[in-house]
Amino acid sequence: MFKKTLVCLIILLFYEASFGQTESASDFFNDELKKAVYTFRNQPEFYKAYFFLKKKEWDSTIVYSMKQLRNKNATIDNYCHLFRAISLQEKKLLQEAEKEFFLIPTTFKFYSIVTTHLGEIALERSHYSEALYFFNKAERQNKSRYSFKGSGLYHNIGLCYFHLKQFDKAERYLMQGLQIQEKEKDTLMLIGSYMDIANLYYEQYEDQLAIPYFEKAYQLSKKTKDFKLKQNAAMNMAAVEENRKNLTLALVYRKEYENWKDSLNDQNKVWAIAELEKKYIVKQKQKEISLLEAKNKIREAQRNGLFYSSLLLLALFGTGVYFYQQKIKNNKIILSQKVALGALNATKDSLFSIVSHDLRSSVNALKTSNNKLQENLRSKDYHELDKQLHSNSMIANGAYSLLDNLLHWAMLQTKQDYFHQESHRLFMIVEQVAHSYVPLMIDKQIRFENKVPKDAVVFIDLDSVKIVLRNLLDNAIKFTGSNGLISIYTSNFDGQFYDVVVEDSGAGMSQEVIDELLRDSFSIAENKSVVNAGTGLGMQLCKSLIEKNGGKLAIESTLNIGTKIIVSLPVNA
Amino acid sequence: MDSINVLIIEDTKAESDPLKEVLIQNNYNVVGIASTFNEALHLFYNQPVDIVIIDIFLDGKPDGIAFAETINIVPNASKPFVFLTFSKDRQIFERAKLTHPFSFLMKPFNELEILYAIEMAVEKFYNESKSISVENQNAVMSKDYLFIKKKNALKKILITDIVYIEVEERYCNIIAESEKFVIQISLTKILELLDSAKFQRTHRNYIVNSDKILEVQVADNLIILKGNHKVMLSDTYKDFINKFRILK
Repeated sequence: MFKKTLVCLIILLFYEASFGQTESASDFFNDELKKAVYTFRNQPEFYKAYFFLKKKEWDSTIVYSMKQLRNKNATIDNYCHLFRAISLQEKKLLQEAEKEFFLIPTTFKFYSIVTTHLGEIALERSHYSEALYFFNKAERQNKSRYSFKGSGLYHNIGLCYFHLKQFDKAERYLMQGLQIQEKEKDTLMLIGSYMDIANLYYEQYEDQLAIPYFEKAYQLSKKTKDFKLKQNAAMNMAAVEENRKNLTLALVYRKEYENWKDSLNDQNKVWAIAELEKKYIVKQKQKEISLLEAKNKIREAQRNGLFYSSLLLLALFGTGVYFYQQKIKNNKIILSQKVALGALNATKDSLFSIVSHDLRSSVNALKTSNNKLQENLRSKDYHELDKQLHSNSMIANGAYSLLDNLLHWAMLQTKQDYFHQESHRLFMIVEQVAHSYVPLMIDKQIRFENKVPKDAVVFIDLDSVKIVLRNLLDNAIKFTGSNGLISIYTSNFDGQFYDVVVEDSGAGMSQEVIDELLRDSFSIAENKSVVNAGTGLGMQLCKSLIEKNGGKLAIESTLNIGTKIIVSLPVNA
Repeated sequence: MDSINVLIIEDTKAESDPLKEVLIQNNYNVVGIASTFNEALHLFYNQPVDIVIIDIFLDGKPDGIAFAETINIVPNASKPFVFLTFSKDRQIFERAKLTHPFSFLMKPFNELEILYAIEMAVEKFYNESKSISVENQNAVMSKDYLFIKKKNALKKILITDIVYIEVEERYCNIIAESEKFVIQISLTKILELLDSAKFQRTHRNYIVNSDKILEVQVADNLIILKGNHKVMLSDTYKDFINKFRILK
């Protein structure tokens, strides 16, 4: 029990010593190292390794020195091996550390450090004589190169001798170390040294010499904050008092020892608790984070919802505006249509009145004519009768064609008529239409020629084209005097259209009248002054029907020479 | 050459009389005038009819179209027809259109118009029923008849009555037993249209109806036909004789 305490103590002390050694020996070494780092500042790995070594972050040091070693820089390699070895030693990987130290050549500038460390390793493994060999070597190297206050080294050598039971040598070295430490006033080291020396004496049963050192160590330990040292010092005192049979004091020290142990434990517990608290806080934070995340998600969802709903609203608004504009547009169209319709209606009304006026006069003429007929029948004036009948049929024909046009116009306007285009022989159509007018033309002594080629085929609605030709022929006859000529022929066949020309040698028209006729309106009322002017209905009907057939209408006329009315009719669908 | 048989369906005598007169003047044969739907059907099935002229409205009802629909349904009974009407009322015409093929005639009509309408009806009818129309439209060929326009009127010729066809440049002289006429068509074209079992080519310019052959004088390269027509036989086409069983 007693011995065990000592062993534990020594190991602890050895630690301190090794540490102290590193630091005290490094004044010069540190300068050199700084220079090396400065020289090789372009090697970041090396700098980092050095940096972490200073910070005592051993793992990082190992990693970066390893990285640096890959770069194969002979000068720094030694430093790197050294870094690694020291770090490994600190990590208690003693065998690895030893291997690493052996990689450093003996020519290395600070080989004494290496030797010292090798000694420390041996000491730690309880290879005391081996350790002693290294330490002695280090001591020699130190002396030969530069002054080196190796309190730790002396101490370690002392320890070796102590373990090898060469107590007088051990005493000398420990004392030597102690002297240096007293000069340096290194409290922690001093406590260790005091205790070791005390143990040394104690081992030799020189209690009188040992006890003052124990007490010194105990007194000093009170000033430090190192629980382990305090604990060991107290324990040692307890052991000493126990051996002196001063049990009350021993108990006091023992209690103190327990106290320190407890505080150490407490500290451990505090750490553990701190650890737990940390974990708890971390958990708490994690929770908060997840909560925040959830909140964020919700907020995002809300934002998205808001975004989409606003989009929807915008779209609704857009369509609303669109429809509103459409409505305005429609209203405008409706208004213009209304105006146009009003105008059309007015024209229709005037057409209506003119047509009824014409019909009224026709029927009236028939009425008076019939009276005359009856008179002539009574007086048996057959010659006059014949003349009367002729004029009657003329009037009836005129009224009929007017009514016919009116009917077709109405059908066309209401789109009630059946319209079906197909291929027809143009010559035949002209023949058929002209056939009805043959007696009339003979009567007026008008010559008629149908010069349409027999193979001319047009793609038209038969009845509508017949109406057109009927009207044109009717007009031509109306405006052509006796011995005139009416001819129908084609010109300009271009493969797409046949231009059908109805030519007469009649009165002709002025350009004004032509323009009037070609305009999309009735020119009726204004032209009443002109004899035989008609309603213009026939011409409008012709134009509409030709357009419906996909054709065109043109008029060429010279006053008093004649008129050419040109109707272009399509050949193909 | 036969006249074309026309059936008139018209309920107003004032309308049908001038129509009949015009048709007869133009050498058509009016087989009857029906004034009701039933009468029309009766006449149609009991008289030889080539074409029907139908007034759409019989007693104010569109029975004319009903009649056309009825005869269109019966297979092989269908004939070309012409509708007579006062107005081109669209509703009526949409219905009439379904009885394709048809042609129509607006009242009042003149002589030329009625003749043209009949021609159109025949032309359309035989075009639609995948029968053959001759290119220049002055003749239409059906299975049994060749319709030919002579002056303004249509005539029909039973194809079996044709004795032979002779080609002169772009025209064909068609010689039947009692008459001859000319249509504008190429020989090869007309050969396609005719029944190849009956009509044989004997010469670059001749097609012969083999039923009408009386005698073949191989030595003189002559064929004697009915009516004492003589037709050339060229070496190129001599083998047509092998198609007959020759009795020696």
